[in-house]
Amino acid sequence: MRITESFSLALKNIASSKVRTLLTMLGIIIGVAAVIVIVGLGNGLENYIADSFSSMGTNTLTVTVQSRGATRTMEVEDMYEIVEAHPQELELCSPTVSMMGGVKIGSETASASVSGVSEDYNDIYGYAIAQGRGLQYSDVASRAKVCVIGAYVNQAYFGGKAVGQTLRVGGQALSIVGVLEQREDSMNEGGSDDCLYLPYSTAARLGGSRVSSYVVTMVDEERIEQSQAVLEQALTDFFGSDDYYTIITMSELLDTMTGMINILVGVLAGIAAISLVVGGIGIMNIMLVSVTERTREIGVRKSLGAKERTIMEQFVIEAAVTSALGGLIGIALGYLLSAAATAVVARLMGEALAVAPTLFAVVMAFGISAGIGVLFGYLPAKKAARLNPIDALHYD
Amino acid sequence: MAALVTFQDVCKYYHMGDSTVVAADHISFEIERGEFTAIVGSSGSGKSTCMNIIGCLDVPSEGTYFLSGQDVGQMNKNQLAEVRNEMLGFIFQQYNLLPKLNLLENVEIPLMYAGVPRGERRERALAALEQVGLGDKLRHKPMELSGGQQQRVSIARALVGKPAVILADEPTGALDSRTGREVLSMLQDLHSSGHTVVLITHDNSIAVQAQRIIRLEDGHVVYDGPADAPEAVVTPRAADMRGREHT
Repeated sequence: MRITESFSLALKNIASSKVRTLLTMLGIIIGVAAVIVIVGLGNGLENYIADSFSSMGTNTLTVTVQSRGATRTMEVEDMYEIVEAHPQELELCSPTVSMMGGVKIGSETASASVSGVSEDYNDIYGYAIAQGRGLQYSDVASRAKVCVIGAYVNQAYFGGKAVGQTLRVGGQALSIVGVLEQREDSMNEGGSDDCLYLPYSTAARLGGSRVSSYVVTMVDEERIEQSQAVLEQALTDFFGSDDYYTIITMSELLDTMTGMINILVGVLAGIAAISLVVGGIGIMNIMLVSVTERTREIGVRKSLGAKERTIMEQFVIEAAVTSALGGLIGIALGYLLSAAATAVVARLMGEALAVAPTLFAVVMAFGISAGIGVLFGYLPAKKAARLNPIDALHYD
Repeated sequence: MAALVTFQDVCKYYHMGDSTVVAADHISFEIERGEFTAIVGSSGSGKSTCMNIIGCLDVPSEGTYFLSGQDVGQMNKNQLAEVRNEMLGFIFQQYNLLPKLNLLENVEIPLMYAGVPRGERRERALAALEQVGLGDKLRHKPMELSGGQQQRVSIARALVGKPAVILADEPTGALDSRTGREVLSMLQDLHSSGHTVVLITHDNSIAVQAQRIIRLEDGHVVYDGPADAPEAVVTPRAADMRGREHT
């Protein structure tokens, strides 16, 4: 008997008991759909983060200095000197001082993120000024009480006319000298446009802390490793040790984030895959029932010349076809749910996070579901093949 | 040329817990090609055991069974399946058609296992169904047919592989007497067209339709001869009593 005939026989049997087959497949359908949606979600998240990172610039190195315990303390000027000493690799530099909250506009408290930066910061990230002016060297040098705000702050609190007005950060009044151009398609509280930049010197005085973090741009994005090595060498020379600083590149950060997402997705997909195993056990259970129900049929087939291998093949193929069919339905359902999830995310968060199933996940899900059919169909098939034809013929 | 079916001191034992049941006790007979033989006996006589062994569904515990010169007792399961497929055609009391398949598909099964290509298979199954007068119901399911018609389908299925022996196990047991007679006359037709037919039954009135009767009792052959001899339908115990009356 040819294998194609075993397949058509299996399809015929499946078609003759649709409800039972559907219920049998349910575990596989749910498992495959869940795996596809979860992997798609992880994939979408990864793309989303990669996009966000590339908008932040991938040609930057972030340097954090821990001067405590070192024989020398690093001043801002020292960092500038290092950058200027390596014009082949390093270009711009800005100290960054993050401040936690405390923005007051009139009597309202705003959520804007506050950073102390240099006059080069806008150039480093390619931010454009929409109104007024950006920060200048003189602002930094004189610790001027000025700031530049994001488009969201301008819209939300000043009705688009912020330049010339004042707000308070940590109790200190700052006059607004400029507004940045809108960066995101839709502005949200807590988004990239909900921000405030002041001179780092002003910020360091307000916070009462030393500047410990810098962002440095590279001349050539293709030479990340050389540029990083040059900076490392310079800093090691400065401190006499490499214990007092860390350099993070955006691409490293991206790798770290992607790695974390992958672990998360792996764990979730693993949990979803458990339902594939449960589905497989469901198939085994139904196949065992089916073998018992069809004992007489097996007896008849054997009396007409079916070999053990032929009967075995028939039942394994039936289980595999059931399971693979469930896999296909699961894939369709997975795509449907992914599209629905994308729409829901877009509506709830206003972010373009596409839940994109990967071809790999789809192929894997299908392969695993067919494999589960073969694996869990084997035992019942063996039972069927081993039936004694005489007993099987007289089974009621 | 050797006989088609040869039983030489065939014994069959079944183990039921601690006790051993002797289902066949040194049974010997031969069936020639073209014979119409009835194996008769009450339940427990060993006729089912004989039928299972002739049908290659089972092998003897002792003794040898030659089918067309081949020693069946020495065969493995695969070889037995092949012999069943090529040499034997079964007709069962309960028809044993597969309910989900139509008549054509049912009759095709033995050819499918023999590896006959699809087109030829269809042709031969069609011819077999026409031979039993069901050429107009090819796409029907067995359940849509009367008992007699279903038994005719199973005869077609038994014939389609051109087997050496047609083995009919109580073929009329589930039928009323009129359709039973039809089925028997069909078996007689097969015999007259040259087929070897072995009929297994408990019913003397059916057994006498055959050419030759082998009567079994408690695993022994108690009569083997023409069906029209008076002793053929008389149990030995009855013969004993008659003998006693004469003395």
